[in-house]
Amino acid sequence: MTSLPLSTPTPALLEVSSLAKAFGGNRVLQDVSFSIGAGEIVGLLGPNGSGKSTLLNTISGFEAIDSGSVRYRQQEIGRLSAHRIVARGVARTFQLPSMPEKMSVIELAMAAATSHHGFWETLAARSGVRAAEAAAREKATRLLHELLLTHVRDLPAAALSGGQKKLLGIVCALMGDPQLLMLDEPTAGVHPNLRNDIVQALRRLNAQGMTIVIVEHDMHFIREVCSRCIVLDRGHIVASCAPQELSSNERVLQAYLGGGAQEQGNAMEAAQ
Amino acid sequence: MFDFLIFSLTIAGIYAIMALGLNLQAGYAGLLNFGHIAFAGIGAYATGILTAAGYPALVGACVGVLVAVVLGWCIARLGRQLGADYWGIATLAIAEILRTVATNEDWLTGGAQGISAIAFPLGNLPRPWGALGFLALVLALLWVLALASQRLGDGRFGRALRLMREEPKLAACMGYDLRALKSRAIMAGAATTAIAGSLYAHYMSFVGPDYMLASETFMLWTMLMIGGMGNTVGVITGVLLVQAAYCLVPFAKDSLHFGSDIAGALRIGLIGLILLLSLLWRSQGLIPEKLRKIQ
Repeated sequence: MTSLPLSTPTPALLEVSSLAKAFGGNRVLQDVSFSIGAGEIVGLLGPNGSGKSTLLNTISGFEAIDSGSVRYRQQEIGRLSAHRIVARGVARTFQLPSMPEKMSVIELAMAAATSHHGFWETLAARSGVRAAEAAAREKATRLLHELLLTHVRDLPAAALSGGQKKLLGIVCALMGDPQLLMLDEPTAGVHPNLRNDIVQALRRLNAQGMTIVIVEHDMHFIREVCSRCIVLDRGHIVASCAPQELSSNERVLQAYLGGGAQEQGNAMEAAQ
Repeated sequence: MFDFLIFSLTIAGIYAIMALGLNLQAGYAGLLNFGHIAFAGIGAYATGILTAAGYPALVGACVGVLVAVVLGWCIARLGRQLGADYWGIATLAIAEILRTVATNEDWLTGGAQGISAIAFPLGNLPRPWGALGFLALVLALLWVLALASQRLGDGRFGRALRLMREEPKLAACMGYDLRALKSRAIMAGAATTAIAGSLYAHYMSFVGPDYMLASETFMLWTMLMIGGMGNTVGVITGVLLVQAAYCLVPFAKDSLHFGSDIAGALRIGLIGLILLLSLLWRSQGLIPEKLRKIQ
């Protein structure tokens, strides 16, 4: 068994040090430390309740951290609010995306193009605003096409299926051209054909230089996409390894299967 | 009859401007402002106080707008730690505090007696041209503000507000500063409503603490809910319907021979009935908000 280090040889884009988060008496994250290099695709794994989504929430500013630090491009972002973190180039999607009823898919995607409210520009209808709107519309149309949502562009965003909402969440995240993209279970509920499109899209984005963190339960997807996996169990990091080593890593198997992990892991591998 | 019609239309126009202000906050941004009438009161009092001190009407209106915008900013900041419903109650409390101050600070506001003899801008014109001219001014302002409101609602700003109203978490995920959005929406609504308050003070030649009664805010909410929140045409339709109900009752009183006390109760009852029917059959208003077409 070989384990990859929690730090990365490439320049670290994201560094998490001794991160802790508790909800009341429930310590969801404890002394979590790892780093992610620029250009990596990292899978964040763990059984239900291991703290994966909470980790994503703390990094993206949706949950305040109790202690520790989160550094992005060598700057502390652990105490920043969500919109300030997004402004630095970190985007994310949600596990259970909830979409607005009174906004069409294309309008929602356009809303993600810029985070500046543009009160005066909208009121004055300056030519720059019209050009920015046209550019946002064009970009939204292209991304919707790439993620096979063109046919639903004029439907209310809330009317989409669960899988389509996931894809729309990815479109919205990509509208802001992030450097770090964090996806929370991007393929859950998505049709297998679309899943392959997501794989291709993520590989393409990564080739363009985007760093991607994926929380996912689908091991096949993780193996196809990720170069490294970080495994959480009960708020602790228990492993950092290549996806191919997951089924032979005893600590990973113990986290997922409990006692007698190695035997069960061998059986699992044989079954696969 | 002609004078009454002009009066009713003028009042409807002024209330429509106030309702547009509330629509920016409640309709687009989903903010439960239950103290909205305070902004109109500030516009009216600034006009009353400054014109009584000899300043031109425009100065009174501008100061009213400025003070209302500052109050709007304070209210938005005050609510940062509160949930939406508690914030709504806080706005109601602020409006009531301001009304109490207006009732008791005689030296500034004239106390319970208010400030009277506020100059009517076109008062030197012969009847009915003065009233008609003022109606034209109100309708022109309503038209301009309705266009501005429509543009804000349909554009990038309105998109951000509507996203914040429906999915605040998603809006934050897209990088929107929700506090800044909330402040802008409240300040824009406050400015619009203060203009209406200033017009009202000029038209009635009077301002008093009763202008800031909480029931006035709920009347504006009723107009929005009947017409359709988040839709400019719907808001104006709601105002016209409620105003029509107000105007019809005096006629019914004369032809059906019932007393003034019953007429007052009937007005409220009729509006309540319209609201109830609207909620039962058109829960999103007569002209509800629609998806914006993007070509």
